[in-house]
Amino acid sequence: MPKCTINGKEIEVKAGTTIIEAFYGGNERIAHYCWHPGLSVAGVCRLCMVQVEGNPKLQIACNTVITEGMKINNVSEEVKDSVKWGLDFHLINHPLDCPICDQAGECGLQDQYMEFGKYNPEMAEKKVKKHKVVDLGPTVVLDTERCILCSRCVRFTTEVSKTDELGIFNRGDRSEIGTHAGKPLDNKYSLNTVDICPVGALTSKDFRFRQRVWYLKDSDTICTGCSTGCNVKVYYNKEGLFRVKPVYNEKVNGHWMCDEGRDMYKWVNRESRLATGLKRENGALTMAAPGALVKELSATLKKYSPEEIGLVLTGQYTVEEYDTLIGTFASEFKTKNIFHWVNNKESFEAFDGILLRGDKNPNTKGLLKVLDKHGVQALWSDLEKKLAEKKIKVLIVAGPENGFVFPDVDQKLKLFAGAQQVIWLGSYRYEALDAMTNVSHQIPLKTCVEKEGTFINHDGLEQRFKRATTVVGGALTLTEVALLMAGKPLTIPVVKETFVEMSRRQDQVQLEHRKKNEFNFKRGAL
Amino acid sequence: MSVMQNKSEISKWYLPGIFTGLGITMKHLVKNLFNRKDMITLNYPEEKYDYSPRFKGNHVLTVKKDGSLRCTACMLCATNCPAECIKIIASEHEDPAVEKFPIAYEIDILRCVFCGFCEEACPVDAIRMGPEWQTPGLAQSQFIYDINHLAYRPTLKGGVLTHVDDEERHKAGI
Repeated sequence: MPKCTINGKEIEVKAGTTIIEAFYGGNERIAHYCWHPGLSVAGVCRLCMVQVEGNPKLQIACNTVITEGMKINNVSEEVKDSVKWGLDFHLINHPLDCPICDQAGECGLQDQYMEFGKYNPEMAEKKVKKHKVVDLGPTVVLDTERCILCSRCVRFTTEVSKTDELGIFNRGDRSEIGTHAGKPLDNKYSLNTVDICPVGALTSKDFRFRQRVWYLKDSDTICTGCSTGCNVKVYYNKEGLFRVKPVYNEKVNGHWMCDEGRDMYKWVNRESRLATGLKRENGALTMAAPGALVKELSATLKKYSPEEIGLVLTGQYTVEEYDTLIGTFASEFKTKNIFHWVNNKESFEAFDGILLRGDKNPNTKGLLKVLDKHGVQALWSDLEKKLAEKKIKVLIVAGPENGFVFPDVDQKLKLFAGAQQVIWLGSYRYEALDAMTNVSHQIPLKTCVEKEGTFINHDGLEQRFKRATTVVGGALTLTEVALLMAGKPLTIPVVKETFVEMSRRQDQVQLEHRKKNEFNFKRGAL
Repeated sequence: MSVMQNKSEISKWYLPGIFTGLGITMKHLVKNLFNRKDMITLNYPEEKYDYSPRFKGNHVLTVKKDGSLRCTACMLCATNCPAECIKIIASEHEDPAVEKFPIAYEIDILRCVFCGFCEEACPVDAIRMGPEWQTPGLAQSQFIYDINHLAYRPTLKGGVLTHVDDEERHKAGI
């Protein structure tokens, strides 16, 4: 374990650690473009210059391994000067079209210029013009003028997605990123190149020009696209959600996520959502508050005998929700007719070797665990049989939250049509449900960004996530549905540490100050 | 309330005050009758004041030589706007040299405080504060100005030409 000194701080690192990794480990700032913790070292941007005591010249931190007793700094005037003029070289041919660049606001060039640059440009030559708005493939647009040739995207396609679509062509100041002839950038992880691009050279077609990034807030959550359970950040504002980006988690997804998961915001946004509770009265649909609808359902459900009630669950909800809902049905309604809706049986175990899994539910493991806990062993074939025999009269279905990964919905709806009454709980809006006359209620549910809970991924890893925002106001969680159906009142969970009284700031204006405030007392006389 | 009261003897009499007041009125009447040029009051709306050309009135979106909008939909004006009255929807232009342009640009003029920050924030001289200030309307909807009004209203006579030209900039090697 070699010891080294970074900017005067002594730290101990693992053998084989490069200087830049040690800087990151010690939370020291260092300029860099081409180095990315998830990729190999390229050493092309020449910005991560450091001074190692005893060495005559500056060295790049990303490709220098720490040895015993190294004394490193990146705060000396020499280093600062070298970074500054290194940055000037990067910006020689940069078009500076920040106003129309999607990266503006989270751009490496902007950030590092403000932190390490702030020079007056000394370049009097004309800028080299390159290609703008190059269509790289179905997801990504390239602007070669903005590119600083850090080669992160090229390394990503060779090392991570292993598809080798991108390369650097031409020489000198005319070199540019491009795809090999006739081969578009088309793989299931292509949008990661947009994330790792430190400038606005690669932009996502999906997000392009839709929002400026400074209008967006972000919040960490878990991708519900498949059972891998990638850690992601959702970006949203009051108009809805706009994009999803991966968050580093060594145990789950590393630095990456797939393109399918990035569509997560589409089924959370209002356009694809069931926005109000719908009730069928005399054949016509009427809108009503979801909470009130579920409350009146509790009386209806109690009329049925346990054998006549059935519950269908998809693997899209949190462990806590399953626990209360299944617990309610098992203890209050005394039914064991709880069935697991598997959306794609054939490809359930599939895995592409990187992240994508065939099980398109974030919490199948959690559902199975809770079913096990309550001793429910009903099979899907039992449901089919019981519906055919008309034994199940009322069927409660907690439908898919993500409408895109349930290709068998039509087929399943045909099956549910056999029940006398269907109560549909779900966040995704299905037009087909309006036509089914036996669907008496449609109750909107919250999606994963609107509630907190736990998902258990394919590996058995429990991941807790927080609530990010609210998209549909009146929507309920399955926990709330379960409590209301059982006829219990809803309670607002009190979290001690964020309790208002405790976090309230002390009164800034003391009483004696108020008494002394002559303006208050002499107001009538002034 | 601080009210100044004249408690002198003379103020108790009625007529001296009346005649002083009438005297002032008559003085102005005679002055205005014989020297109409210097009269302060105007016959608004037939007569109007001329304001300075730097007056910050209703916004104008400038146009390029071909008549299309100069605005690149960078949203800096909307970001800078303290009244949050600017709403822009950007889209992709078919010409790669233009790339981004607004398909909707709305200013809610009733919210606007005419501070001129939008004009200052604009990197391409796409929005200016014009000289107009008399803009009556009958309904609230008439005060939400769209692209058509901001850039091509009849008083602008075909639009105001911007002084930032991309082609010239590219020729200069910027």
